[in-house]
Amino acid sequence: MTVFLLPLAPYLLWLVYAALFHPVPLAYNWRSIWVRKAGTLSTVGAIAIVVMIFVVVLSMAQGVSRAYVKSGRDDQVIVLRQNARVEMMSSVTLAQARLISTHPLVARDAYGPLFTEDIIVSKQLPLADGTGSLTVTVRGTTLAGARMRSQVSLTAGRWFRPGLSEAVVPQSMQRRYRGVELGGTITMGGRTWAVVGVFDGSGSVYDSEIWTEVADLRQAYKRYGMDSSVAVRLRSPEDVPAFVRDMEKDVRLKLEAKPEPTYFAELGDAGKPMQVLGQIITAILTVGAVFAAMNTMYAAVAGRTSEIGTLRAIGFRRREILASFQWEAILLTTLGGILGAALSLLFNGIKSGGVNMKTWSDVGYAFAVTPGLMAEGVVFSILMGIAGGFLPAWRASRIPVTEAMRG
Amino acid sequence: MAAPEVTVRLKGLAKSYWRGSLEIPVLTGIDLEIPKGGYYALMGPSGSGKTTLLNLIAGIDRPTGGELEVCGHALNALDDDELAGWRSRNVGFIFQNYNLIPVLDAFENVELPLLLSDMSRGERRDRVERALRLVNLTDRMRNYPRQLSGGQEQRVAIARAIVHDPELLVADEPTGALDARNAEEALVLLEHLNQELGKTIVLVTHDPKAAQHARFQIHLEKGVLDRTIEVHDRPGLPRIPGGGA
Amino acid sequence: MKFLSLVLRSLFRSKRRTVLTVLSLAVSVFLIALLQSLLGTMDSLTVSGGSGTRLVVQDKASFTNVIPQSYANFLRSQPEIENFTAFQWFGGEYQDPRNFFANFAVEPETYLDVYREECNLPSIPPGQVRDFKRDGNACIVGQELADRFGWKLGDVVPLRSSIFNITLRLNVRIIFKGKRKSDEMYLAFNIRQLQEAVPWMKGRVGAFTVRARNAADIPRLCDRIDRNFANSAQETLSITENAFNLNMMKMLGDYSTMVHSITGAVLMAILIVTANTMAMAIRERTTQISTMRALGFRSSQILSLLMAEGLLLSLMGSGLGIVMAILAADVAAKVGGSILPWMADFIITGETLLLCVLITLALGLLSTFAPAYRASRRPITDGLRAL
Repeated sequence: MTVFLLPLAPYLLWLVYAALFHPVPLAYNWRSIWVRKAGTLSTVGAIAIVVMIFVVVLSMAQGVSRAYVKSGRDDQVIVLRQNARVEMMSSVTLAQARLISTHPLVARDAYGPLFTEDIIVSKQLPLADGTGSLTVTVRGTTLAGARMRSQVSLTAGRWFRPGLSEAVVPQSMQRRYRGVELGGTITMGGRTWAVVGVFDGSGSVYDSEIWTEVADLRQAYKRYGMDSSVAVRLRSPEDVPAFVRDMEKDVRLKLEAKPEPTYFAELGDAGKPMQVLGQIITAILTVGAVFAAMNTMYAAVAGRTSEIGTLRAIGFRRREILASFQWEAILLTTLGGILGAALSLLFNGIKSGGVNMKTWSDVGYAFAVTPGLMAEGVVFSILMGIAGGFLPAWRASRIPVTEAMRG
Repeated sequence: MAAPEVTVRLKGLAKSYWRGSLEIPVLTGIDLEIPKGGYYALMGPSGSGKTTLLNLIAGIDRPTGGELEVCGHALNALDDDELAGWRSRNVGFIFQNYNLIPVLDAFENVELPLLLSDMSRGERRDRVERALRLVNLTDRMRNYPRQLSGGQEQRVAIARAIVHDPELLVADEPTGALDARNAEEALVLLEHLNQELGKTIVLVTHDPKAAQHARFQIHLEKGVLDRTIEVHDRPGLPRIPGGGA
Repeated sequence: MKFLSLVLRSLFRSKRRTVLTVLSLAVSVFLIALLQSLLGTMDSLTVSGGSGTRLVVQDKASFTNVIPQSYANFLRSQPEIENFTAFQWFGGEYQDPRNFFANFAVEPETYLDVYREECNLPSIPPGQVRDFKRDGNACIVGQELADRFGWKLGDVVPLRSSIFNITLRLNVRIIFKGKRKSDEMYLAFNIRQLQEAVPWMKGRVGAFTVRARNAADIPRLCDRIDRNFANSAQETLSITENAFNLNMMKMLGDYSTMVHSITGAVLMAILIVTANTMAMAIRERTTQISTMRALGFRSSQILSLLMAEGLLLSLMGSGLGIVMAILAADVAAKVGGSILPWMADFIITGETLLLCVLITLALGLLSTFAPAYRASRRPITDGLRAL
């Protein structure tokens, strides 16, 4: 949004200059705005709604990509079959996994190497509101895997134990789906899994996954000797390029290693269509809002014809009148922008979900109304003020001095 | 039903406004009869209540006390819609600022009161043309108000006031916005309407010249009738400017 | 009727204001019409020519899992079933990962019959049908898709799938014309190609599409099929094809909530804008309104004249918006269809038009009523004083 301001920079600089050095006082505009309350409120309201839509839709897109960004760690690498792109389509044999786990760069903690082999399957879960069901990701992982995902922390119950067909479920899924509460059971792979724990993935994609013990899942789905992916933590982020090179050099493996941030960023492209849609919607609405602002400003100019004539008679020059009314328009729309940005905060943190077209499974995310987005919304309203105010301000500046004499 | 001999009959008419709990009397105890075909000028200083009295007579305002019977109807007994219908049949209005509808041309402005009747299109056209001929503006009937001079605008307004053939014409400072020549023309026109068409005219003015055209001058002072003067030395009735009827 | 010209001309007394308001309304209604039609188009696509008589048998846990092809034996023994075909989502890409379109592996022997409405079987030359069934590498593509990539009969199309990590080279044997453009946006080929190239697909299929003799039999069939496999290694979930499609659409996310929320917010904004315009238009006509009332217009007549004006304003705005939307729909279908197949059928739906009519009425009435009512009840003498 800010880029649009650049071509306007000279004009804006001149406006600032005009306001500072040959001012029709801004207080004059500020008070005039409040003289025409109905017109002002309607314009402020309309602009506020457009800015709100703008910020909220982008906060959705932001929320999606944030869920993915939060999921990666820069010292961790995910290893997939070549060209697999997503874990679900990948396969890694146990033999390959053994080889990877022995790589010297893999970090260790008190319990052993920070290495996990995961299986990804999917499961159709009924939605809590009864409107149908969606496919969610089920991750068979290890306790090491649970430790490696540092965003994830247990909030109730305990972690799964090997051999008992147990599952842990994210807190955020509780409201969205039926039958995933602590003590509940989930049927998959011909087995019944007991929900023994609830975890919080702090907004990462793990908040949209059910976790079980990998060996149990392997058995249930008869995937002997074939897992989906391997993830490792390295001793430091600097080791990542070396490790990735090693993986790709090893022709026995035919594997592809990706730093987690890269992997998740690719998945996060899923937020793109929403972002594009949001931009199209905003672009269309902006046209409408600019017309509305123009209407209000033309009315303001028409209602103050003799006032403007008087200002000219006093000695203000045309360009100062132009600047004055341009400022008035900017003040007006910026009020709307600030209001709209404030209103969008009401949506912050609201949870929603959508299916990632790359993994075919449901991913929850929260609207992320960031200060950056809100600032963009306000900048946007300033642009609307410039666009909507210029013509009326130009007209005001053309009003002849003689109008001062008319009633 | 035979037309009543009296067009306006006021008995103990009073009108006050309230500023909060404070009652401000504008008119008190007005007794007045204006015969059919009469030509009366209401005069008095600002705030004497002459416009209020005119509004009451014209049925666009309601008294707070007393009785008023205009054109054979006791106006107090009519509800707002009946009063509107009554005005559309019995009263013609002439305003200081003409009050023409800017988006309608002269013809359409004159036609406006007829739209409230169930007259056919052709009948309306005849009537409008006749009224415009009377004020000598047939050549300007497709002009919009902003294309007309002040004098012409007022003549269109007068045509609008008579097009539906009302018994009563009310005029509030009809010459107030006109120069001397146009004012004189308008006054002559009113006098014709009074003498030849028998319209009862009530005129509010503070211009003594204009009041001189009326047959009686009613002077109001602080909301009460001060005196009624018959006008003897009225100017002779010249021809309507440019011919006409 | 005799007042129509008065209403029209009053509306255009301030041309610029009216034009700006109309344009402002038009772009907003334009947006609403497009967004709502987007939802409507998505909904309409859950139903296609023969979908009412078909059901889908898939793995109970997830439609992404495969099921044994041997389940066909049970299906074959059901008298209510007319025909069925197996299919598997291939997820293949042509030349570039961005060239996304739907492609499946199917059983050529039965596929054309099960989907005879969608591929318009009677219109396909018998020679092409024979080639498609005989050639193991054959594929069938829709006209729209063929046009997009410039494929002709006999062309070889290499498709690479990242799901199966293979590339298949397929011969175009049928190019069909469907009833809807979105029906022409896919490619299907012989599932044996996939089963031979991918070891774990041997003897497995993604799902079965079953065509019932009678739509009324479908619930009973679903029930019987699922009961039959209830205690087997892989349980099944049988649902009508319409429900299956609905699930697929649902996966696109909660767009309907988003669209409805945006519609609501935009309506709010245009209501404010229109109300402001009408308030301005009425305020500056106080004297005129009082004059008309003095001439004998009743309050109710004044009110209806003003309301007519508001309605006309909103009618012009939304009318223009709808016309713009209808003109843009073709462009949206062309451009959108190359990214999302179902967008090829994008049209402004009847429901959307109805909604726009309702919006127009509501907008005109709500925006004007308050100022118009106030103006029509104002004491006449007040207005005449406001000279």
